Amino acid sequence: MKWIDIKAGFKDFWNEFKNVKFGLFGLILLFIFILAVFLNPYIVPFPEASSRWRDITYWEDNPVSAPPVWVNWFSSTKRAPSLIIREHTFSEEKMRKMKLTRTIFEYEYSYDLPPLDVIFHGYAKGSPVIMLNIERPDGRIVELVRRPISKSDGKIVRISIAKDTRIESYNFGAKYESPEQNRIIREMVKPTSILFSEAKEGILVHPTPLKGAYKIIAEIILPSETDVVEDVYLSLSGSVSGWLGTDNSKRDIWSGVVAGVKWALLIGLLTAFTAVSIGVIYGVMSAYLGGWRDSLMQRIFELFVGIPLLPVLIVMSAIFKPSIWILIIMMSCFFWVGPVKTVRSMGLQIKEETYIEAARALGSSSSRIIFKHMVPLLIPYSFASMALYVPSAIVYEASISLLGLGDSTIVTWGQILHDALTGGAVINGLWWWVIPPGLFIALMGMTFAFIGFAMDKILHPKLRTR
Amino acid sequence: MYWKYCIKRIIYGLAIFIVLIFIYSALFNTTMESTLRSQIEEEIHAETMRLDTRMTPEELTRYINERREFKQHLYHLDKPIWKRIVWRALNVLSLNFGKATIIRSSAGESDVWTIIAECLPRTVLLFTTAIFINIILGLWLGIKKAQKAGELLDKTTSIGTMIVYGMPSWWLGMLVIMFFAYTIRIFPSGGLHSIPPPTGLAYYTDLFYHMTLPVLTLVIIGFWGSAFLIRNIVLSILQEDYIMAARTRGIPERKVLYGHAMRTAAPPIVTMALLSLLASVGGNIIFEGIFSWPGLGNLYWISIEQNDIPVLMGNLFVTTALYIGGLVILDLIYGFLDPRIKVGGKQ
Amino acid sequence: MADTNDILKVENLKINFFTRKGKVYAVDDVSFSLKKGETLGLVGESGCGKTTTVLGLMKMIPPPGKITGGRILIKGEDIIPLSEDEMREKIRWEKISMVFQGAMNCLTPVYTIGKQMMETVQEHKEMEYLQAKKRIINYLNLVGLPEDIIRRYPHELSGGMKQRVVIATALFLEPEIVICDEPTTALDVVVQAQIINLIKRLKKKLGLSVIFITHDLATEAEVADRLLVMYAGKLVEIGTNEQIYGKRGPIHPYTEKLLKATPRLHEKVEELSFIPGTPPDLVDPPSGCRFHPRCLEVMEKCKKDIPSLIEVEPGHWIACWRNTND
Repeated sequence: MKWIDIKAGFKDFWNEFKNVKFGLFGLILLFIFILAVFLNPYIVPFPEASSRWRDITYWEDNPVSAPPVWVNWFSSTKRAPSLIIREHTFSEEKMRKMKLTRTIFEYEYSYDLPPLDVIFHGYAKGSPVIMLNIERPDGRIVELVRRPISKSDGKIVRISIAKDTRIESYNFGAKYESPEQNRIIREMVKPTSILFSEAKEGILVHPTPLKGAYKIIAEIILPSETDVVEDVYLSLSGSVSGWLGTDNSKRDIWSGVVAGVKWALLIGLLTAFTAVSIGVIYGVMSAYLGGWRDSLMQRIFELFVGIPLLPVLIVMSAIFKPSIWILIIMMSCFFWVGPVKTVRSMGLQIKEETYIEAARALGSSSSRIIFKHMVPLLIPYSFASMALYVPSAIVYEASISLLGLGDSTIVTWGQILHDALTGGAVINGLWWWVIPPGLFIALMGMTFAFIGFAMDKILHPKLRTR
Repeated sequence: MYWKYCIKRIIYGLAIFIVLIFIYSALFNTTMESTLRSQIEEEIHAETMRLDTRMTPEELTRYINERREFKQHLYHLDKPIWKRIVWRALNVLSLNFGKATIIRSSAGESDVWTIIAECLPRTVLLFTTAIFINIILGLWLGIKKAQKAGELLDKTTSIGTMIVYGMPSWWLGMLVIMFFAYTIRIFPSGGLHSIPPPTGLAYYTDLFYHMTLPVLTLVIIGFWGSAFLIRNIVLSILQEDYIMAARTRGIPERKVLYGHAMRTAAPPIVTMALLSLLASVGGNIIFEGIFSWPGLGNLYWISIEQNDIPVLMGNLFVTTALYIGGLVILDLIYGFLDPRIKVGGKQ
Repeated sequence: MADTNDILKVENLKINFFTRKGKVYAVDDVSFSLKKGETLGLVGESGCGKTTTVLGLMKMIPPPGKITGGRILIKGEDIIPLSEDEMREKIRWEKISMVFQGAMNCLTPVYTIGKQMMETVQEHKEMEYLQAKKRIINYLNLVGLPEDIIRRYPHELSGGMKQRVVIATALFLEPEIVICDEPTTALDVVVQAQIINLIKRLKKKLGLSVIFITHDLATEAEVADRLLVMYAGKLVEIGTNEQIYGKRGPIHPYTEKLLKATPRLHEKVEELSFIPGTPPDLVDPPSGCRFHPRCLEVMEKCKKDIPSLIEVEPGHWIACWRNTND
């Protein structure tokens, strides 16, 4: 096949293809998916989701099983979303050798339900002392915590208001609560719901949100010149979080789902390509060689066909615990049977053509005839097949992962669904955990279905023209 | 002619099954044996508990070793590996699957074959019902689409086919359960029947009540595909010369369509239906699991979770047998329906 | 040409195909008549409109085609206004039937021959099973096939046998007009001869009026009395075999080329004669006479005006400017 022929072939094909509307739509979707893979770090709040999926420290600041932020649009009770505040105003005072710095974070609270936690982050060198206060819109200032940092060359500081300020918040609230209600057990108190509520009776049991501008003030004492606290930021853990909410391990689902795109594409395309390539070559060879070789190849083929794919795949995965690459190879080893029957009958037809006979008479070798004359005719069919196999491959991998047998070092949509299932998402109605991964599987399936069916339509025009 | 074809297909099927059993036995030999060994140890342990306790430690050890050797000999574990594989394969072929480690049948038995035989009909019931409905709906829509090919109905329903093409049935099942069983509580979330199961006619209505959600899910995903395939089959037949010839002869359209066309379409359509059924047998492990439908697929999943290797292997063997058997039956039916195979070639 | 002996009269028949690429003028203003007992040959290149014309006679034009003008009179009655039901019940197969080309694929593969024939008979005539069966066997014998063909499936028969079945099926309702659409094209030479002889015998015996389509002039000469020549959807010549093959009188340049292209066994063949160029695209046919781009005797007038059929001798019509000038 000369390059010019291939180019001309593609051009003809493209001319036909662009007339099929849903095919174009499929291509656009595919393009969006591919774009998502490349733009992955920029469109998700947790770019390292893929490699740090099981690292609980990465997800620490997120709420557990929180719905997505846009739930607020549909609800009259507005919940505070998760947020990271990096901007701050900074001032320092020097007192002889010590420095006193003030870092102020501003937070506009206009919701009905407060954030679940407010966490101060910093990187400390030396032995500074960090004090956190919060200044409310009603002017009251609550001293939250005083934390000395033990001496070190550098360590991460993380102060969580929800965990570390129970006593202080309780004391604050108790001042305004009626005596009867004061009998609430301190341990049951949620600091943020006290701090962000109006200072009046009921603050501990039925809080009314206090909306307005809040300031979270970090006063840091740096005893010596080498002491410093840098990289400070505030992260708020909301009751709604992220584009697709969080799961019960606090992971941002949107980040996980987007991280899964590349794996789905990889699994699907690689498996489909390998399997169809093997299948087409096998079918053509079987057709061309004919005779006892054809019969033998057909018997082997029937052997593979008799294997029920999913059960065997499951057992093999359970025993051999494969990585994703081995899984792809395993799937290819079974998927290849798909195109063989059709390709073989097409091959048998082509074999009867006189130009094949002519080629043989001219002394062409078998492999030359197969690869130069027969296979190129099958390329359009091969591509249509490949497109239609991608969704199957993705679903099989998802099934294996759903059973917990998949490669746990990577994030695939199947893995997320496995966690959803074992995490009780269905029973607890955590729809944002269950719907998106499967939806993406379906969407990617739909994309390749559009493309594959469009190609198939071109190959088999159903309306005869005279 | 046809008989020759039948016998050929059956022999091939059997041959393939036997070869596969041997392959499975070889591949999974180690796993199965380690289970067997631990089962043996358990048996010996149970035996020693029932013994007369006046034996000395040496006598006890000797006894254990004797029993172990005996049992290992019984289960051929002392033979070279290929003999073990052969023996295991032969066992399987005679339906002797051994005993389950953890799973029990509803009557409490641990014989693997009993457990499997109990689950099998449930799977068949569920999927045959779903496929049956799929085909009926698929025929109705597919024929309509073929008659008005290229028009609006055809195009829009084809889009529907493509939308559900890559949708995992078990995921849709999860959604359906979340909606119909938890949000609006009108259907049960799974299981075969209520506990305790009602008797008489109510038993059957209860069964159907529990089947509704799974069947609904299967039909939503499946019927688009059948309609599309049937449409393609019927359409390509409608464009054949003999259909035009029949019309030219003055045969009314109804007879042309439902007689000539559909009769010719019968072999491929039946093939399609049976293949879907077979695919369900092999592929709906997770689906049954989601709906807690105690069929073969669910058993598979449970046996993986519980690490009950005998049941797992037994299940695998039975599934493969069903699968290959189904393929053979498919060929036989196809040959029966298509006179070109049934009656054979030229004179 | 008005003749009460005309069993079929076609007047200015126009059939167009409305395709995505444009309107195809497949049959453009074709007029001819068929007398009772006569065999009319219809010749022309592939794609010239022969099959479309005869499909039009049965109103079986496949979409996107439609009859857009003219009249088709069978025994004086115009069938174009008839509804589909009327066509199916009264006209098709009862008044006019067809022997298809390439008998390969016009028999339903899943029904026995007997079932298909019985179905056709019972659809048209109120006949008892045994009576119908008798008629079927009768006609099968007439075409030289044994009775047990009834139990066979189409794939069990050879090409020649299938062709005979198709002929028997076309005849057993005893229609007035039988169209044979290249019935021998797909068969090997020996079988071809057998079928042609069969058709000739049956024609005589049953007094059939036949339209016989072929692209092979030799076959046409054997079977037919008169000849219609079509080119690019138009009739270019009508005449008796004598008049056209006789090499005496005037002739259309296309017909002349066709004759030249048929090699004779008894003549010395220096080189194979052929017609240069290719048949025209019927979406955008050439202006004037459609043959003018390939005609060796083309004149200026040919490129502008469409020639109509002129009677150059009694019963011999030619559509050519050169011939009317002579």
